[in-house]
Amino acid sequence: MTHILTRFNAFVAVAGLIAACGGAAIAARQQPAQTVEISVERFSFTPSEFKVKAGQPVEIRLRSDDTDHGFRILGTDINVTVPKRGKGAVTVVFEPPKPGRYVFECSKLCGAGHSFMRGALIAE
Amino acid sequence: MLHTIATAPIRNTAILALALLAAAPVRAQTPDPAPPSAERTTGISGYMDFHFNKHEFEDGRLDFHRFVLLITHNFSDRIRFVSELELEHGFVEGLEEAGELELEQAYVDFLLSRRFNVRAGMMLVPVGIINERHEPPVYYGVERPFVDTVIIPTTWFEAGVGVHGEVGRGWRYRAFVMSPLNARKFNAEEGIRGGRQKGSDTNIGRPAVTGRLEYVGVRGLTVGASFWTGRSGFEFRPRFDVPVTVGEADVRYSRDRLELRAQFAHVAVSNAGELNDALSRAVGVDPNVASAMRGAYAEAGYRVLSGTRAGDVGIFTRYENFDTQFRMPSGYLPLEEFNRDAFVFGGTYWPDPDIAIKVDYSIIRSQSSVVVSPNSFNVGLGWWF
Repeated sequence: MTHILTRFNAFVAVAGLIAACGGAAIAARQQPAQTVEISVERFSFTPSEFKVKAGQPVEIRLRSDDTDHGFRILGTDINVTVPKRGKGAVTVVFEPPKPGRYVFECSKLCGAGHSFMRGALIAE
Repeated sequence: MLHTIATAPIRNTAILALALLAAAPVRAQTPDPAPPSAERTTGISGYMDFHFNKHEFEDGRLDFHRFVLLITHNFSDRIRFVSELELEHGFVEGLEEAGELELEQAYVDFLLSRRFNVRAGMMLVPVGIINERHEPPVYYGVERPFVDTVIIPTTWFEAGVGVHGEVGRGWRYRAFVMSPLNARKFNAEEGIRGGRQKGSDTNIGRPAVTGRLEYVGVRGLTVGASFWTGRSGFEFRPRFDVPVTVGEADVRYSRDRLELRAQFAHVAVSNAGELNDALSRAVGVDPNVASAMRGAYAEAGYRVLSGTRAGDVGIFTRYENFDTQFRMPSGYLPLEEFNRDAFVFGGTYWPDPDIAIKVDYSIIRSQSSVVVSPNSFNVGLGWWF
C-alpha cells in the first residue's frame, strides 16, 4: 500500500511539474512587456506621470509607505486598495485601448491633502 | 487583472504537486480584493490626538488635544467636497483655552484637469510641512514643531478661492486668494498666530495671496517653497496699514527606515512700530510686536524596527531655533526670552501604520538670563482611520 502511495505521489508530482511548467509558459507569454513601480504615500504617487505603449498591457505595481490608499484610473473599472506600509503591494494590469492621457488618483480618503493625489498614465 | 501571490510551507510531495497543479489557474482566477466602492460618493475619516504633558515645575496634564472628522462627498469625478471639523481640548466653552470647534476645511474642488483645478471655500494655507500634513502618525514628536506653531501658525486655514494642479513628473503648485490676518491680534510670544481670522465673518477688504511650489518627482523626496502676503491692518486703516509677508522653504526625504526633514520660515511685519503704538494706546499694554520673526528646524528619524509583526519603532531628534523678536521696529529692543532653541528627542511605536504611540522630551532654552523656559516630558497616542 505504501509502495502504491509513493508511486501515486511521484506521479502527481511529475504531473504537477509539467502543469506548472505549462502554466509558467502561458504566464510568460501573457507577461506584460511594460512594468511600472509606483511608490504611494500621503499625498503623492511617485512617479506621478509615466509613458506606456497604447494597445499593450502594462503591469503597475503599487506599494504604500504609510496608510492604505486607493488607486483608481478614471474612466475604467480599475479601482483597488493599496495596502498599508509593510502589508505588501498590489499589482494591476491595464491595457490602454488607445493613445491618450489616463488620469489616476487616490480613491481612499487618506488625509488633509488627499485631493492632491493624482497622476497621469500617458499612452502613446 | 489583479494578481496575488502567496507562499506556504510545503509538507510533502503530494501537497507540492497539488499546489503546483493549482498554481497556474490560481494566478488567473484569484478574485480581486474588494476595491473601494466606485459607487459610494460620501466618505468619513478622521484622526485623534491624546496627550500627556508634564512641564517642569508644574503638575502633569492629560488632554484630548484633537478630535477631527473628515467628511467628503463626490458629486461627480470632477466636483468634490472635502471638509475637516476639529474639536480641540475636549469641549467648547467659548474661549480658546477651554476648547475650540474649528471648521478647518470645507471646500469644493472643481477638477478640470490634472494641471489646472479650482478650489473654493475654507482651505488650508499651503505654507510649510505640517500645515497640510498633520495627521499624527506622519510626524515625529507628540506636539507639532515649535516653528510650526509660533512662526507658521498651524493649523492655518482661511476662507478663499484659488487654483492648484500638477505639471509633468511631480511639479505641483497652489495659488489661493484668502482672507488676511488681523494685525490687532499679533503679540510678542506667538507672533502672528493670534491674527488668524479662521473664516469667521472675515474682513476681505484687501485679500491676501498665498502660494506654494513643490517638487515630488523623486521617490521619497519633497522640496517646497511657499509664501503668504497680505495687508493685515484693516482695523487701523486709513491711518496706516500692516503689510505682512511670510516666506518659507522646506525639504523632506524618506527612504525605507530613514526620514529627514528641514524647514526655514521668515515673517516680515511692516509698520510694526505704528501697530505697537496704536495697540498700546487702545488697550494700555504694548504688545511688542516684532518687525521680523524667524524660525528653522532640522529633524532626523530612523525606524530601528521595521516590518515586524509587532509593528515599527522609530527614534528621532530635532533641533529648532525660533525667535518671535528677530527684528524690532525702531525704538524697541527685542525681548531675549522669545529667542528660543529647542532640542526634542524621543520615539514612536506604530503597532499599525495608522496608530502612533509617541514619547519625547523637549529641552527649551532662551537667550534670557531671567525668564526660564520649562522643559517638558510628553506622551501621545494618535490615530488615523
